[in-house]
Amino acid sequence: MRTLEVTAEVAVPIRTAYDQWTRFESFPRFMSTVREVEQVRPAVTRWLIGLGPVTREFHAEILEQEPDSHISWRSWDRRLRHAGTVSFTPVDPQRTLVTIAVRCATWTGPGVVTLPLVRRTLAAELEHFRVFIEGVGDAGETWRGTIHDGRLKHLKNQPPTVPGWQHG
Amino acid sequence: MRTPSHEETPGELTRTEPKDWAAGVPAVRKALEYSLSETTPRRTALTLLTMNQVTGIDCPGCAWPDPAPGKRHVNEYCENGAKHINDEATSKRVTREFFAQHSVSDLAQRSDQWLNDQGRLTEPMLKRAGSDHYEPVAWREAIGLLADELRSLDSPDEATFYTSGRVSNEAAFLLQLFARAYGTNNLPDCSNMCHESSGAALHETLGTGKGTVTLLDLQHADLVLLVGQNPGSNHPRQLSALEETKLNGGRIVAINPLPEAGLKRFKNPQKPRGVVGRGVDIADRFLQVRIGGDLALFRALNRLLLEAEDAAPGTVLDRDFIDTSTSGFEAFSDHVRSTDWDQVLTDTGLTRAEIEGLRDEVLASDRVVVCWAMGLTQHRHAVPTIREIVNFLMLRGNLGKPGSGACPVRGHSNVQGDRTMGIWEKMPDGFLDAIQQEFGFDPPRHHGVDAVKAIHAMHDGDVKVFLGMAGNFVSAAPDTAYTEEAMRRCRLTAHVSTKLNRSHVVTGEAALILPTLGRTEVDVQDGGPQFVTVENSMSVVHQSRGKLEPSSRLLLSEVAILCRLARATLGPDTTVPWDTFEADYGAIRDRISRIVPGFGDFNARVAEPGGFALPNPVNEGFFLTETGTAQFSVNTGEAPHAPPGHLVLQTLRSHDQWNTIPYTDDDRYRGIHGSRRIVMVNADDLTELGLAEGDLVDVVSVWGDGVERRAPGFRLVPYPTPRGCAAAYYPETNVLVPLDHVDETSGQPASKSITVRFERV
Repeated sequence: MRTLEVTAEVAVPIRTAYDQWTRFESFPRFMSTVREVEQVRPAVTRWLIGLGPVTREFHAEILEQEPDSHISWRSWDRRLRHAGTVSFTPVDPQRTLVTIAVRCATWTGPGVVTLPLVRRTLAAELEHFRVFIEGVGDAGETWRGTIHDGRLKHLKNQPPTVPGWQHG
Repeated sequence: MRTPSHEETPGELTRTEPKDWAAGVPAVRKALEYSLSETTPRRTALTLLTMNQVTGIDCPGCAWPDPAPGKRHVNEYCENGAKHINDEATSKRVTREFFAQHSVSDLAQRSDQWLNDQGRLTEPMLKRAGSDHYEPVAWREAIGLLADELRSLDSPDEATFYTSGRVSNEAAFLLQLFARAYGTNNLPDCSNMCHESSGAALHETLGTGKGTVTLLDLQHADLVLLVGQNPGSNHPRQLSALEETKLNGGRIVAINPLPEAGLKRFKNPQKPRGVVGRGVDIADRFLQVRIGGDLALFRALNRLLLEAEDAAPGTVLDRDFIDTSTSGFEAFSDHVRSTDWDQVLTDTGLTRAEIEGLRDEVLASDRVVVCWAMGLTQHRHAVPTIREIVNFLMLRGNLGKPGSGACPVRGHSNVQGDRTMGIWEKMPDGFLDAIQQEFGFDPPRHHGVDAVKAIHAMHDGDVKVFLGMAGNFVSAAPDTAYTEEAMRRCRLTAHVSTKLNRSHVVTGEAALILPTLGRTEVDVQDGGPQFVTVENSMSVVHQSRGKLEPSSRLLLSEVAILCRLARATLGPDTTVPWDTFEADYGAIRDRISRIVPGFGDFNARVAEPGGFALPNPVNEGFFLTETGTAQFSVNTGEAPHAPPGHLVLQTLRSHDQWNTIPYTDDDRYRGIHGSRRIVMVNADDLTELGLAEGDLVDVVSVWGDGVERRAPGFRLVPYPTPRGCAAAYYPETNVLVPLDHVDETSGQPASKSITVRFERV
């Protein structure tokens, strides 16, 4: 298994950097290889990524999510099996170090998709993130709960509105 | 037209080797053969190519969920769904001439298969009191007659309103609204006979009666347990999801009394490996458990997991989940640790090594899904069994995280949605308060009757009018002779139906057949073309739009029938805008959005491609139980064991059957052809009982009430069912199921554990 790691220092507070990163569905606005993201449910996202003419869709499960600290995921794609962590470290109150570490278990795709290319792409996309969030400066209100081993823990005790009676 | 097959005459039985794989090219061929024998190539193409598509017809056959929009095959259906939809789309018609030719007593001698085969009903028919014939009647008179009868009752509780799972959300909402405006909570439904035990167990332990998994969870689980279900025949599209599970590296263990073809191997006809290859192996491990041995199995499995934790502390159980999100662990643990191995092996018919093998599968898996169907729910200890499965899931934290959870596989297209819409005899005050606030009348607060209690009430003369919305209540219900007598004691029985079935010919003094549009048909009202909505087994609510020209110009939609009946019964002072509802189903959905939690902005959300998913509290980190935590439980209950000379019988479907309606006398996967009046018995049991293959016997059930229940004229077939266990088809063997032979918590009939003996004819 190979691990790729890229880092960038972002000139926003850690909360802003984290909050923007959790807005997964906004990634296509500033990342050139992310075509579409759907938050299927809090711990599951669907990604459509593309590099030139090559596209790939996969689901990712968020295994761990700790506000202002880190998000870990694993893909559910048998041809693009990987796991990763994005971590946020405060440099000072207005600056944050963002590190993406991706571990690739299997990577059976077109031959042009090599690990060095993936590393360059990750670095470029992280730079896109830096430019975007520094330019916008504010990520707004986001979900601040935690996920541990794929399971949610909410900050507030507000269950979803559902038909709560017995079903047959 | 096929030859009528009378109920008590066994056909010519032939046998072939049971199949060890399901689907493939033969499934496509059989589906097309049946479809084209029923209707034209054009209508067949129209139904099949729009079936389960985003803007198409939701298959009325089962509640299995559809892939996300954009991920569906052009042919997004299974063999049985194709047969079912074209059974409805048939070009055959039942006309007034048919009823003139056939008396009710003549029709009562026919099988459900023959009745179904006559085609679509075309106009309202009335059997007057004292008459032996149905005669045509105008809609106004038919509905007026039913309304008059309802108004004449001493109490609204003398009527009961049954719902089958084909009924749309809109019609179900209107039915419960009408019943409550009229003054009763007598709302039995088919859930009472299929998954009531699942709902009761899950609601008590997890705070939700619905399953917690989605298709994605199933496809990405490390381990899937298929318990008491036969996906190859009863929900074949599940096999496509299980194929994905296997291709993703997941493993599957099947736990079932019968080694069904669909549990072994699946040849996906949409993929080259399914057409010319050997397909995909489904179960990596098969545990042939005795009928009703599942509680003992899971209790033993849980004991093994606790002992594995003892041996390697901190490595087996999810202590964080148990400590923070559950209650009752200590009592559960104490109870399970006392499990007696000898009893487990007797109850399950398995070896200890087999159960330990299952434990090892579990220990090697981070994410586990358990699927089940009526092999678990139709027992006297069904609720304890399902609660024990919840215990199992909780031990290793297999709830509320992706790739894990509980998956009760519901069988009928909108059975879950109908309950969501308020079809239940015990709806909570919050729902009734919302009805009151929205419509300005006070719904009755006392509980109504479920299916079993409704039958008793009709038998005792306490219920005098029965209205069935879809379904075939008489054949679906247990204790056929008692149920039929109950129906015959009613003053009026009425059924909203698409095709003829036994419930139309076992009647009250008077009877009505109210023919309705099928799911396949275009529905145009004063407000223009309408669509309906349904909720699948994984809580996705979506549209269904009919495509075919209606079978008759005199058909009314279910919604229209209910609106007209409500107007006629409740009179001009009703506070419910029935006219508006009939003209525009969107107006019904607007009201649903204000009454049913989770349906806010219903019309806009269901207009989205693929509809919307109702959230599951468990997956959002909430357990809406009394304690606010998931509840471990202590479960007792005896596995069924028959006394000497007897066997435990389960009733089941054949492959060529949809609910109560067989399409042919064949059961292709099990290799049984030409007759449905057979009993599958272990060859060693046959020998021990002094019987032989092909012997003709009466099947007699044994129950504590002293009533003899007899199903005459069955052939014995040696089959690889566990020792002491037997299997036969329903509805033919429903006659053997005592009405009060139920799970005591859910009240669901225990149709899968009947003690029987054979009497040679």
